[in-house]
Formats: sequence, C-alpha cells, structure tokens
Amino acid sequence: MSNAYIDKFPAEAKVVKAAFYSSFLALALGGVFGVIQTLHRTDIYRFIDSADYYTVLTAHGVFMVITFTIFFLVGVFTWAVTTSLDRGVEDIRFTWSWVGLMTIGTVMAGVAILAGFVDSIDISASVLFTFYAPLQAHPLFYLGLVLFVVGTWVAGADWFRSWWAWKKENPDARIPLPTFMVLTTMIMWYIATMGVATSILVFLLPWSLGWIETVNPLLTRTLFWFFGHPVVYFWLMPAYLLWYTMLPKFAGGKLFSDPLARVGFVLFLLLSTPVGIHHQYLDPGIAEGFKFIAMTNTMFLLLPSFLTAFTVVASIEHGARQRGGTGYFSWLKSLPWRDPVFAGMALAGLLFAAAGFSGMVNAGMNINYLVHNSLWVVGHFHLTVGTAVALTFMAVSYWFIPQVTGKELWNRSVALIQVVLWFIGMTFMTNSMHRAGLIGMPRRTAEPQYTGFEFETAVGSVGELNAQIALGGVLLTLSLVLFFANIIGTAFGSRSDNLPDNGYAEALSGSDDAPRVLDNLKLWTAIAVVLVIIAYSLPLMSIVDRGGLFGPDITAFPANLESVRFLAFAVEHLGTAALESAGTLAWNTLPEVIR
Amino acid sequence: MNIHTYEKVWLIAALLLIVGFIATITYGSVGLGIAMIDDSEETVEPSELDEDFGEPRVEHVGENEYEAYVIAQTFIFQPDPIEVPANSKVTFYVTSRDVIHSFSVVGTNINTMVIPGEVSTMTAEFDESGEYGIICNEYCGSFHHTMEGQLHVVPEDEFDMTELSVESDDEVELGNETTFNVAVENGMLDDLETTVTFEIGNETTEEEITVSGESTEETTFTVDSTELGEGDHDWTVTVDDYEESGTLTVVEDLEEEEENGGNNDE
Amino acid sequence: MRISKAGLLVVLAFLAPVLVELRTVLAWVNIELSVLETAIIGGIIIAVILVWAFLPENGDEEGAERDVSNSEL
Ligand code: HEM
Ligand SMILES: [Cu+2]
Ligand SMILES: [Cu+2]
Repeated sequence: MSNAYIDKFPAEAKVVKAAFYSSFLALALGGVFGVIQTLHRTDIYRFIDSADYYTVLTAHGVFMVITFTIFFLVGVFTWAVTTSLDRGVEDIRFTWSWVGLMTIGTVMAGVAILAGFVDSIDISASVLFTFYAPLQAHPLFYLGLVLFVVGTWVAGADWFRSWWAWKKENPDARIPLPTFMVLTTMIMWYIATMGVATSILVFLLPWSLGWIETVNPLLTRTLFWFFGHPVVYFWLMPAYLLWYTMLPKFAGGKLFSDPLARVGFVLFLLLSTPVGIHHQYLDPGIAEGFKFIAMTNTMFLLLPSFLTAFTVVASIEHGARQRGGTGYFSWLKSLPWRDPVFAGMALAGLLFAAAGFSGMVNAGMNINYLVHNSLWVVGHFHLTVGTAVALTFMAVSYWFIPQVTGKELWNRSVALIQVVLWFIGMTFMTNSMHRAGLIGMPRRTAEPQYTGFEFETAVGSVGELNAQIALGGVLLTLSLVLFFANIIGTAFGSRSDNLPDNGYAEALSGSDDAPRVLDNLKLWTAIAVVLVIIAYSLPLMSIVDRGGLFGPDITAFPANLESVRFLAFAVEHLGTAALESAGTLAWNTLPEVIR
Repeated sequence: MNIHTYEKVWLIAALLLIVGFIATITYGSVGLGIAMIDDSEETVEPSELDEDFGEPRVEHVGENEYEAYVIAQTFIFQPDPIEVPANSKVTFYVTSRDVIHSFSVVGTNINTMVIPGEVSTMTAEFDESGEYGIICNEYCGSFHHTMEGQLHVVPEDEFDMTELSVESDDEVELGNETTFNVAVENGMLDDLETTVTFEIGNETTEEEITVSGESTEETTFTVDSTELGEGDHDWTVTVDDYEESGTLTVVEDLEEEEENGGNNDE
Repeated sequence: MRISKAGLLVVLAFLAPVLVELRTVLAWVNIELSVLETAIIGGIIIAVILVWAFLPENGDEEGAERDVSNSEL
C-alpha cells in the first residue's frame, strides 16, 4: 500500500485529475495552433488563409494562457491546500461546482473562437486574447470568459474555506507554506480580476449585445492591463510554489528559507497589480508620470524574483550536498538529472533566468520603443509562460499524474527526452524571435513579408531567422507529442502500489523563524488595495475625463453579428439569472474570505 | 527571522541593480530627453477627423521643422508615402479612424500605439535621406498583415512642397481663344522662386513666378486656336520637377464634335 | 564514464543555448559565424565532451571542463 495523494484524498484526487486533464487538452489544442502559426508566419508551410491566422492566434493565446495555465493552477492549488492542511475540501460538491463553471466557460469561449473558422456560422471571436475594443467578439466569448473567471473566484473561496476551517482547529499554528502561497496568490487574483470583470461586465458584454452603442477603447484597454500584468504572475505563482516547495524535495534536500518564501509571495501580492501600465508605455492618452510610476514599481517587482532565484538555487545545492555532492560546482553532478521532474524544472528555471534579461529590456520605459509589439516580446513570454511555467507544469506532471491516478509513469526516459527537447526547441525559437524583434519584425502578423521594404538583419538573413523559428516550433511540437504519449500511456496503465509518498519539502529555516506579521493576510490585502488605488485611480479618472466613460462614436469591428440579437434576448432572460446565482455564491463566500 | 549572510549580500546587490535600472531609465528620460508618448494632445472624434484633425498631410512649421499628420485606418496609412527632407526634425501626429493600430517605422525608434479618439505624437530627427517602411504592429483585423506605408526622407535639395495644378478646356472652337489657369502651391515657409514653362504644339512660353511661403500663386496662359489649327495638340506645364499635361482639341464646330466625345480629362 | 548518461544529456542540451547565444553575442563584436560554421563548432564541442565523458575515470576529480560546462547551472 502506497502513500500517494490518491490514497489519502481519493475524492480530491479526482478533482485534481480532472483539472490536469482539462489543462492538457488545452495544451494539445494550443500546441497544434502554435505550430501552424510558426510555419505560416515564417512562410515555410501555409495551408490556411491568412485571414484565418488570427482565429488560430486567438485560439492559441486563449487555450495556452487562460485554459492550460489556469486549469493546471487550480489542480496544483487544490493539491497544495489539501496536502499542507492535511484535510480534504469542505464540500466536494462545491469543489466540483467551480470545476464545472470553469469548464462551461472554456467551452463557450472556445466555441465562439473556433466558430470563426466556419463561415456558415455567424459567430466569431478573432479578437486575440487581449480583445481590444473596438474589435468585437461574439457575446458568447465574453460570457465564457466571465464564467471561467467566476469559476476561479469560487475556487479561491473553496481554498479560503478550507483554511478558515483549519484555523478554527489550529488557532495558533502558522499557515503552512503551500497554503500561504495559495491564499496570497488568490488575494492578488481577486484584486486583479476586478479590472477585466469591470471591462467585460460593464462595457464589452453589454456592447456586444447591442445594449450600449460604444465603448472607450483606451479605458477597456487599461482595464484589461490592470488584470493583464497580474495574470502573468498568476501563471507564474504555481510554478514558484512548485519551485519552493517541491523542487528542493526532488533535489533531495530542504527548502532553504520558509520566511523568505513568504516575503516573496507578499511582495508579489503587493506589487503585481500596480504595474499594468507598463504594457501601455506607448499608449497615447496616458501621462508620462503614470508610466514612470509603473516603471519603478515594475523594477521593484524584480526583487521577489531575485529572492526566488537565490532560495531555489540554494535549496538545490543543499539537496546536492545531501546526496554527496562537493566542490564549488561539482555538486551539480550529484543532482538527480535522471529524474525528468527535477531535470525539467531545473531547465525551466534556467530559461527563466534568460527571460529575466529580456524582461528588463521590456520594462525599461524608453527602451520599450525598440521592442514594443515586435517578435521580441513573443520570444520573451515563450521563455516565461511558455517555458518557466509550461515546462515546470509538464515536468511536475510526471510526479503529479501518478499521484492522482495511482498509476506509475509510463516511461521515464521518454519523459526526460521530452523536457530536454522542449528546452532545446525553446532555445531556438526564442533566440530567433528576440533577434527578429530587434530588426522590427512585428508580432501578431500572418505575413510579416512586406511589399514596400525589407527587414535589414545585422547578421545572417531573415530567411535564416525564420528557419530557426520554425525549427524551434517543430521541436516543441515533437516534445508535446512525447508528453501526451507519456500521459496517455500512464492513464491507461494499471494501479501501482509502488508510488512515492505525497508531500512537500521541509524547510531548513522553518516557519517559526518567520515574523508573525507575514501571516496577517488582512494587512497585506489592505496595503495591496491601497497601492492599486494609488497607481490606478488618477490614470483611470484621467482616461474617463478625456474620452468619456463610453468613448467616442466608433462602430464595432467586425460590424454587429446577426445571431447577437437572438442571444441578447436569451441572455437577458437566462444568463442574468445564472450570473446572479454565481455572483451571490461568490459574494456569500467573500466574507469568509476576508475574515 | 534570520537571513543568511549570502542572502543578505544577494538582496543588497539585487536592490542596487534595481535602483541602477531606474536611474538609467530616468537618465534616458531626463538626460537624453527621450519623451514618452503621453496625453499632451486633445482628444479627437474619429468620425469627424476632417474637422478635429484635418487632412492627412505634412506641414512645414519652422526652419528644418515639419509636422506630419497621419491617419491610420484598416488597412492603410495616409499620407502614403510620407515625404520629409533630410536634416529635419519631424513631429508626427497620428490617430485612427476605426480600431487600434500602431504606427511603427521599421528600423527606427518611432513606434506608437494608435488609438481611436487619441492622438499620438512623437518627434524624430532625420539626418540622412533614406526610405523606411511603416507597419502596423497591432492586430487590427483580417488583413492586418497588409497594412504598410512608406516614409521617404529625401535629400534636402530635392525636397519641396510644391503642388502644381492646371485647369483648362479639353476642346476649343477654331478661332476662339482658350486659357490655361496654372496654380502653383508652395507648402514651405520660404518663398519659392521658380519658372512655369508652358508648351503647346511647338510653342514654349516661360514665366518667372515667386510663390511666397504657404500660399498659392496663379498664372494664366492664353492660346489662340487659329495658330494651332484644327486637330489634337499636346500640352505640358512644368514647374521644377512637376509636370501636368493633356491634349487640347481644336474643332471646327463645338456642338457637332461633342457627340464623338473627345474627352481628355486627366 | 565520467558522468551519468542523464547528466551528459543535460550538458549537451545546455550547449544549445550556449552556441546559439554565442553566435548572437559574437555578432555584436563583428565576428559573424555562418550557420554552417556554428554547426561545425558545435559538432567539435560535442565530440570533445563525448570523448571526455567516455574516457575511463582515473580517480582524478578535477575535470576542468566538467566544471565549466556545468558552472552556469
Ligand atoms: C508548441 C509550442 C509552441 C509554439 C510552436 C508556439 C508558437 C507561437 C508563435 C509563433 C506565436 C506568435 C504568433 C504571432 O505573434 O504572430 C505565439 C504566440 C503566443 N504563444 Fe505560443 N507557441 C507554443 C507554446 C506556447 C505556450 C506553452 C504558451 C503559454 C503557456 C504560449 C503562449 C503564447 C501566447 C500568449 C502568444 C501570444 C498570442 C497573441 O499575440 O495574442 N505558446 N506562439
Ligand atoms: Cu506585465
Ligand atoms: Cu494592424
């Protein structure tokens, strides 16, 4: 009899498994679209119409960074809370309800996007994952996003509920580190999603239903980025959680410092949101001063990541020395490279360091002119979310999937090759993307081959850059194939009694060393809210003052769709009811959350 | 909370680095004067750009100083090409008629979002002549990838903002006189001294004119059809590098010929 | 073998960004390597690492190369 997660929490294991499988499905779809894009925009192989490229890109963006990442997150967080509090969820039906909301939301948004390929269906949402108005999607798309986000809110309430119940039984105990990380991340998420929620519920959804005539494009865009930066930390936080609490264990050691891990997460909570304007450095209508504030906040947001780098490396080194490693660098040899979980996570962290460099360039307000909206940016975030997050998730799946299915991993060697292949593929793809961006090649463009001029490369040729991008894309796709082979192979395997125990890393410097105030979530929430108000109230007021709440008189694009009128009717009668009940659900749990 | 010595060192180093970055960026803004796109322009109504913003155009506003008023819309930039002289300082004003676009001059630091209702402005100096591509790097619809324009920085001595237009009849009755009204517009601030050359048949007439800054000078050439004789006569009006041409038909009886429809409108 | 097979795989993988970025960095100082040249250099380095890895261990812990190739991890 083993001591895996499924043995202790069979009901929760089902939830976690469902979340993981949903996320993998999104990853598979996203991967297919990813390689189509890669081959299309480099003009190596084109089989879709260039006008459909943007439907593909919308699907790639939404499936990858909304569905794949966040479904995986809810799986990890559920595991983290139940494992570290050592108690099951309070009410498994409640838990399934948010899984359901998120799933329905994804299906709705997905249908709206994919219908864009079928001309005979009068539904489309080729607005990319940033959905900047006046580009307009079918209401189904916005509704889907809303349900999805509401699902995550309810999920957060679920975890708060667990913690709250646990606290009653353990009044004086410190919050276990994984739960602490989950809770701070979720508070950040509640604050951040206020931006998109307002944008969609007050403006975009009513507008797509024809209830209001116009929207203020700068306002909805700013509200999007209010959410758009913290969402990148929302993707990253589960990876950080795993680097802090699991990687030391896989390396054979302990977490270097529990208190500093807490400090890191508090800093993320405080600083993730009041920086969103750094995505709008080149937007007209926002004063330079606001951009400057966002820039300084962004730079300080580097601090918790530096902290993480130190703690993670120190913990790994500790692990290596526990395993008999010695010397300045030769301890590296003693690490368990044979273990795909460890190797994948370490390689992901390595590329994340590289991403830090290109990120600093992006953050440099006036250097941003050089790279804004160029392929450089795509190179950057395939290192961050596309590798640091995605590769960590894939690697850790090789540990998680056996834990939640009770089956042994199908093939460890294939798994090791898979993570290495991802690392190499991303190296090729992102290096050339960064370089292409520097010569001005734009992102989000089906055919970056222009008639009036040619891009001038400093070294090599545009053809060479394109070939390198495509090579990377193909290697990544291969890597994905191996990943799914392994997951499917595992899923069809039989139950095993020979699984590693469930658990997470202990700390060298434990929570007793952490000042009590770190666990004061109310305090951190209040400070975070104040910081957001400071950073955002003036810019938002100024934007509304300039352009009006509903903006100038511009028509939506593409012009209003036929089926919208019917849907508007249906939504008015059914949707509001459903939304309301979901809303009340969230509201009812909110007091608990705040408590 | 005890913090390991190495970790303290690391933290301090990280903080120094962060402060260093902020200082560098601040130096870029204050020391080097790299201004950010900001809210200094009034908002405009995208459906009434003619009034709020005017036509897409380039204006000469001071010695070696120009302003380019650019409108982005699905899926073009206007004016196209944008022409400015080398050794000049150009301020771009860019707005959108419909969705969000960008205005990005490839290979330069000129790069801005273009948001309907807002006007982005940025100033650039062009020391040397050259041709640049302009692209939209924000997704703006199904044909976003076709959205491109050109920026031509022409050698200083080849640059002018002269516009030539000619108004004339296509047909004239034998024996009558007809006039060619030539208008020379000078968009520059300085006076333009130039020669208008009018050729018809094998006759050439020249006229020296001075067009003062930001104004238009008109002149007229009168032609006697008897001298030309019946038939088609090609004409050209030339001012510097600009040329207008057409054909004047001299007919015996205007009414009759009308049905054959000899139209030379250009 | 001087290094585990998995360790070798990771070292070789780590070579990919080193080579790719080396080419980019060298271009800044006006040393322009063609794809072929880079591939040849890569091939040589891989061969050297392989030879070193498969050399019988002679009890000497000080493989200078090993330290370097691992150092940035
Ligand atoms: C098979 C692996 C992948 C390939 C080949 C790939 C390829 C690409 C390419 C070529 C683009 C740029 C398209 C353009 O701007 O014209 C892109 C955009 C993007 N990718 Fe990936 N990608 C992959 C995996 C991922 C992963 C794992 C994530 C995140 C978890 C991700 C997130 C994104 C996002 C957010 C965009 C931007 C979408 C937008 O601009 O709206 N990709 N991808
Ligand atoms: Cu950001
Ligand atoms: Cu565009």
